[in-house]
Amino acid sequence: MTAKTRYFVLTAFAILIGGLTTGLVASYMGGLPVALTRQAGPDDLAFVPPDAVAVAYANVQEVMASDLRQRLRKLHPDSPDQNDFEEKTGVNVERDVDAVVAALMPKSLDAAGDHRPLVLARGRFDQVRIEGLAREHGAEVSDYQGVRVIAHQGADESMALGFIEPGVVAVGSTDGVRAAIDAKRSGRNVLSNTELMRLVSELDAANAWAVGRFDAVAQTADLPGELQQRIPTLSWFSASGHLNGGITGTFKAEAKDDEAAKNLRDMLRGVVAMVKIQADSKPELRSVVDSLQLGGEGKTVAVGFAVPSQLFDALELMHQREQQRRPAAR
Amino acid sequence: MTTTPPRPAALSTTAAARRVFEVSFGEMLWSRRTIFMALVVGGPVLLAIIFRVVEAFGAPALRVNGARVAGGSVFGVMIWLLYVRFIVPVLGLFYGTSLMADEVEDKTITYLFSRPIPRGAVLLGKYLAYLACTGLVVLPSVMLTYFLTVPFAQVPGTFRSLVLDLAILAAGLAVYGAVFAFVGARLKRPLVGGLIFAFGWEPVVLALPGYLRQFTVARHLQALVPHAMPSDSALSLIQGLFRDVPSVPTALAWLTVLLVAFLWLAMRTVSRREYVLEQ
Repeated sequence: MTAKTRYFVLTAFAILIGGLTTGLVASYMGGLPVALTRQAGPDDLAFVPPDAVAVAYANVQEVMASDLRQRLRKLHPDSPDQNDFEEKTGVNVERDVDAVVAALMPKSLDAAGDHRPLVLARGRFDQVRIEGLAREHGAEVSDYQGVRVIAHQGADESMALGFIEPGVVAVGSTDGVRAAIDAKRSGRNVLSNTELMRLVSELDAANAWAVGRFDAVAQTADLPGELQQRIPTLSWFSASGHLNGGITGTFKAEAKDDEAAKNLRDMLRGVVAMVKIQADSKPELRSVVDSLQLGGEGKTVAVGFAVPSQLFDALELMHQREQQRRPAAR
Repeated sequence: MTTTPPRPAALSTTAAARRVFEVSFGEMLWSRRTIFMALVVGGPVLLAIIFRVVEAFGAPALRVNGARVAGGSVFGVMIWLLYVRFIVPVLGLFYGTSLMADEVEDKTITYLFSRPIPRGAVLLGKYLAYLACTGLVVLPSVMLTYFLTVPFAQVPGTFRSLVLDLAILAAGLAVYGAVFAFVGARLKRPLVGGLIFAFGWEPVVLALPGYLRQFTVARHLQALVPHAMPSDSALSLIQGLFRDVPSVPTALAWLTVLLVAFLWLAMRTVSRREYVLEQ
């Protein structure tokens, strides 16, 4: 073997062994790659307790300012209920709320035995006005770790809110709000939950997303029993979307094993192929159907989609025609 | 009285194949064909570098009908479209068919066959040199492509798939190499026959329902790929509709049978065939 050949073989082996070692170490250390990369997700995740089974986020300002929202607003103007909410609380969601983080807490935290939500909203709130309104409706104010927690005890469940940091309000069960305060103080929060944060770190730039355990969300969403029986093989899911003129999004699910994921991918591939073939007869849906992309590897199944702004143009046109037809019918 | 020098003892097939491998590996690695291989294999790496640079600037490097495609999915698509469907069959075809054909064309086969080694060992040694040569170029290229496209945070979740990819591509090179080595040993114009098999027979038969799909390498190889099959063309859609994926043990068994059978057939052909050199 000549020296040139020897160098070539050594270089090739160095690349292979270097890559395999890096991958092995990263896999063995689990959360190390997540820890080495910049913190994924918004800062308010620090208020979410570590045992959350699902987390969702929405950049309210971006969503509200999006072209899509403005178009939908034209089709469905604000309802009187929204104005009523603003008059009572002083909160205009579109103007005063910047972002919302929502989490689904495990059953053990709540006596009622169901997953309970915890919502954290960041924005500008009139604390005095909201507290006064809550008191008028029979709520009681208590102090927890220096934070005023306003709680209302209903017949079988409690509802509480607390201004846990300037500009951040937590809404949920009393235990949930207290857990949010503890999570931030102790530093034991969802940021240390390797599984959930791995899913968060894998999300692409999106102004709305959700990640979590599939079984917990399926139970809470009260899916039909038959559907629940067909999806026990899914363990984790993540969904992310970006709203602007249109919507682009990805839904990912992790199956229990490679075989289950492969079966699901094959099933979805057949469905996507059928939908694409049938979409020829509906040109208005062609762009949406064309955007369907099936992906994923190993235990992951992913479906990407895009709803272009042209589709909303068509919907707007249909709505306008409908509006014009109504007075004529009368 | 003169004494004739003793005839050198014939080497065993294994020992002879090793000798042929040692000679052929260097020759094969620095042949003109390697430039073609470097270009083919460098393509995905170049695409991955462009992807990484664009992503580093915060822009989505790849959008499909408006939807942003993540790095892991880009790597999966590269494995399917570039490596499994193109690079592996093409390298198998160009190298496999030339194992014996080059010696015939260069009229050097006589020197090899006049040595005290089994004829089949010549093909076996050259086949092993092909495997080492292509493996040492293709597999590092996959490794570089992976680390360039997949974000570091996603490595723990996707690393197992990478190891599977490397094993599948090595298996693909081995089986396609064996099939085309037989084609090269058997046919006078092996490249034409090989091209018809790789880019005519295999894609068409895969799109048809029925048992004929068993007689392709692609069906069994694609059954092992851990990434989702991209629906990039009408043919892919049809393949997706009629695709019944064999189980992993079945696919592995078929690949092993194809590898052993074609390698044996190729060695047998070389042992029995009389190569007539054109003057």
